[in-house]
Amino acid sequence: MKVEALTWLVLFLPLLAAGIITLFTLRNKAVSATLSIGAIVTGFVLTLAVIKFGGWDARELSVNWLSIGSLNVDFGLKLDALSLMMLLIVTGVGSAIHIYSYGYMRDDPGFSRFFACMSLFTFSMLGIVLANNFLQMFIFWELVGVSSYLLIGFWFEKPSAADAAKKAFITNRLGDLGFILGILIIFTALGSLNFTVLESGNSIAALGGMATLGGLLVFCGAIGKSAQFPLHVWLPDAMEGPTPVSALIHAATMVAAGVYMLCRVFFIFTPDALTVISWIGGITALLAALIAVQQNDIKRILAYSTLSQLGYMVMGVGLTAPEAGMFHLTTHAFFKALLFLGAGSVIIALHHEQDIWKMGGLRKKMPVTFWTFMVGTLALAGVWPLSGFFSKDAILAAAHENNLLLFILGVAVAALTTFYMFRLVFVAFLGDRRTGVAPVSDSKEAAQAGDESMRQARRLSYEPHESPGVVIWPLRILAVASVVGGVIGIEALFGGMFKPDAAHPHGLLAQLVYPFQHAPVAALSGLAAFAVGLFAAWKLYANAKTDPLPDKLGALSRAMANRFYFDEIYEATVIRIHDAIAAIADWIDRWIIEGFCIGLVRGGTDLTGRALRLVQTGNLQTYAFLFVLGVAVVLWFVLGK
Amino acid sequence: MNVSYLELLKLAAPETIVVLTALAALVVDLTSTRDLEARFRFIINGMIACAGCVAAIVWMLVMPAHANALEGMFVVDPLTQVVKIALLGLTLFTVLISMDSTFTEHIGEYLALILLAAVGMMFLVSAEDILMIFISLELTSLSLYILAAFNKRDVNSAEAALKYFLFGGMAAAFTLFGLSLLYGLSGATNLGQIAAALEDKGLDPLLIVAMVMIVLGFGFKVAAVPFHLWAPDAYQGAPTPSAAFIASGSKVASFFIFAKVMMIGFTGGETNGVHEIAGSAAWQQFVSGWTPVVAVVAVLSMLLGNLVAIVQSSVKRLIAYSAIAHAGYMLIGVMAHSGEAVASLVYYAVTYGLTTIGAFGVVAVVEARSKDDQLASFAGLSRRAPVVSLCMMIFMLSLAGIPPLAGFFGKFYVFAAALKTGAPNLGLLWLVILAIAMSAVSFYYYLQVLKQIYVADMPAGAEELRVPVLGQVVLGLIAVGVILLGCAPNLLVGVLQASIKAAGL
Repeated sequence: MKVEALTWLVLFLPLLAAGIITLFTLRNKAVSATLSIGAIVTGFVLTLAVIKFGGWDARELSVNWLSIGSLNVDFGLKLDALSLMMLLIVTGVGSAIHIYSYGYMRDDPGFSRFFACMSLFTFSMLGIVLANNFLQMFIFWELVGVSSYLLIGFWFEKPSAADAAKKAFITNRLGDLGFILGILIIFTALGSLNFTVLESGNSIAALGGMATLGGLLVFCGAIGKSAQFPLHVWLPDAMEGPTPVSALIHAATMVAAGVYMLCRVFFIFTPDALTVISWIGGITALLAALIAVQQNDIKRILAYSTLSQLGYMVMGVGLTAPEAGMFHLTTHAFFKALLFLGAGSVIIALHHEQDIWKMGGLRKKMPVTFWTFMVGTLALAGVWPLSGFFSKDAILAAAHENNLLLFILGVAVAALTTFYMFRLVFVAFLGDRRTGVAPVSDSKEAAQAGDESMRQARRLSYEPHESPGVVIWPLRILAVASVVGGVIGIEALFGGMFKPDAAHPHGLLAQLVYPFQHAPVAALSGLAAFAVGLFAAWKLYANAKTDPLPDKLGALSRAMANRFYFDEIYEATVIRIHDAIAAIADWIDRWIIEGFCIGLVRGGTDLTGRALRLVQTGNLQTYAFLFVLGVAVVLWFVLGK
Repeated sequence: MNVSYLELLKLAAPETIVVLTALAALVVDLTSTRDLEARFRFIINGMIACAGCVAAIVWMLVMPAHANALEGMFVVDPLTQVVKIALLGLTLFTVLISMDSTFTEHIGEYLALILLAAVGMMFLVSAEDILMIFISLELTSLSLYILAAFNKRDVNSAEAALKYFLFGGMAAAFTLFGLSLLYGLSGATNLGQIAAALEDKGLDPLLIVAMVMIVLGFGFKVAAVPFHLWAPDAYQGAPTPSAAFIASGSKVASFFIFAKVMMIGFTGGETNGVHEIAGSAAWQQFVSGWTPVVAVVAVLSMLLGNLVAIVQSSVKRLIAYSAIAHAGYMLIGVMAHSGEAVASLVYYAVTYGLTTIGAFGVVAVVEARSKDDQLASFAGLSRRAPVVSLCMMIFMLSLAGIPPLAGFFGKFYVFAAALKTGAPNLGLLWLVILAIAMSAVSFYYYLQVLKQIYVADMPAGAEELRVPVLGQVVLGLIAVGVILLGCAPNLLVGVLQASIKAAGL
């Protein structure tokens, strides 16, 4: 047996865990958690073994799953640098998050259900990563949709969580419709769904005039899953789920699936399609960064930051640099999971307080959380030599080479990124403590009377303290990954796959200085953007008690705080129209179809059924007579003609 | 004619093993276990029966054979092997779901009869000679008549068996009449020779009569309208495991031999073992001869089965009518008469048989506790026996044809094969459309069962149903099989297609 066969185990262990937990161990928390964590950690170890003994070379394992005439669908695993690295991210970061969840969800009544859903999600995600054909990818794509629905709506008794889950699912379905149409176009034109076959078959030429359309339809799937403009609205709302879910789904894995898919099928995109992709990515990056500047909920800031970084990745792919997009995806998985888990640590310490203006001074109370969060922030802001610097620089360098406008946009987003992240750090971790001391006589605080004052009182009565080991160890591990992620050869790995001819840096020193030699303008602009953003944040928010920006920016600030009114616009247009169509359809269904057609058919069917039943008298003579009559009728029918 | 009996015995080893097992079960029960408690007797002798089935299956897996003994009397090729393995599998499950029954003290006899019926089916599958076909049919049928009557204390069981027997006798007479006409026309009993002899004769009325009579005989076996009248009464009255066996194993074997007779006997231009299906003008004549007959029967079955099932209140009758409807769908596969169609037909029949055994198994569980099989007795079952309910849901949804369960792919393959055969002029399209429309109707009554199980309130005072672990495991295994064959249909279809190629059909 070859070592690759272990990948089957990596894929199916989480499913097995999910199945066992659902069927048997719902009442036993410890066993459930052990199964779920065990499955993903084993997956991580097995992936390492596959890479250690099998290397990064491209290879495929498959079994014939379905053959209908000319359509042959395999159920297969495609292993190459892209999928193996992604496998490491999903199982590695996933392991950290699973372990963290054990601490975070400890007191939740749905503990076992949570781990069952997490394992199901892991299975689906691994399926996308390993798929060797479009159909299989689409099936797992939908499974990811379902399992994320379960996880976002985990606290389904909260209406906001239930709504967010629905919103995420439905918005994703919109993109998926495009995705499946794209797959159908590709299959009709090329007669195969297998990635290897498609790649070797020069698919763009074979698709002809449909190439751009097909590519863009496939991209629709990524727009939905990776929350790109204009389908980005679901991601911030999805923060209603438990924080580990936000870390797993909305940082490291699910939203990355869209970018991963773009890289996997990069060969089907025409230059025109790539231009559209890069602009969608750029617009998303800018919009989300602007919105993040005026959010007050710690998880929402991180959510918009995720959106913005995903925009970067998509932009990178669109700028014909999928290796840069994947590189950023990898490092982003490390530091964004770290940031989310850090935010979760803060949130538990503050008994589910998420407003950064009610935090403050946490640095001393929660040193580990603070320092690891700081590492994540610096990595995200792109400080040399942390991982984020290298990956962001790769995208900026690609933009500098191909599209100056997008380059400027990218640098601006980099400055904004630093600005909103340090706003978060200054307000939440530094400065004076705004909870646990005397009530703040702030106008905003004073307005919150009633039951809010009860919560306030409760919140005042405790000291925030550092989280337990099961929570902070994953933070430490992820912090290390965020620091070194840029210089451990990931870039060369992806580069070697997508652009085997170009030179890629090897060795620690070469990697450390590579950006400055390769594209000095991009590297220096990135660092300058960091400096600008840091300076602005320090100027405005060091020791700030309230947010000074609304006074300075006025309407623009309000628009940012209200997410540029996207939800309102959708509410007024798409949803309104949809409601109208639904009302009409409901009327037709109720009166014409149900009342008239169904009524008639049902009545007719029922009557026929009753009439025919009379034939079944139970009387043998009647049966014999009918039998012979049947023979006679059939004979007459055949001979009489 | 030189016959090496040792060779023959080796070819027929699986059948021999099953016969010996039947005798062993009889002897063991008569001599050693008679004084034990009924439950233990069932377990001991059931295990013997299962061991026999498994041994025969293993023999066929280990010793693949390909031979044609005595000019078509006994044909062994990869395809018949696969079908026989499936039949033995169904027999095995039938034995397993009967373990919990209390309807009889004649346990050895009961198991022996099941095994003998299985032997009849195995010979039927291997026969390519009309004499052998008739004899095997009779062996199967007689065993099944007795199985239907096995609950001596229940007057319904006796009535069911009597109806089944008298009706079966009549059908057998017609079949024999048809076969003798065929012999008279061709002067041969071997299917291949019959086809060769008929090639130049054209489609004369006498041949049509022969065809109608044969279709009718098989129509009775598969319970197709208008020869279905026995089925609802027999399914309802017979002991549940017997009904399960009648509905599954018997159906698989009958459909297989039906397709074989139609495809080999009436193809024309066939020379021993090698078949030229398409392109022969004579074949076209015969196709126009028998397809209309089958089409009429298929349409009637689909319509009547589905419509009458809607108004049933007894679950066993409901399954009986749904079986009639399923026979209609499967007849479409017979009409498609291509290698692919046979593969899809066997896949359909096997998965259908498996699902039906499971469904009857659940009915048996409920029936044993609430003394009847009315829909109302299933009310709130999900809270009284969750595992069994889950299995029933899988069976019902598979019968209704919901992906990714086996029932969906069965329908899919049969319909696809039918469309492909008639591809140039879409000759069978209207049948497929009707079948799909009728499948939609069938959802109503399948969901009706599930509604009782999952939605309806528990009757007051109902307690948790205690289902034996063995029963739960068996039902669970069947359910897993249904899911597995649905998720990975190529497991079976691939084997079937390969063996059909190997068998030269």
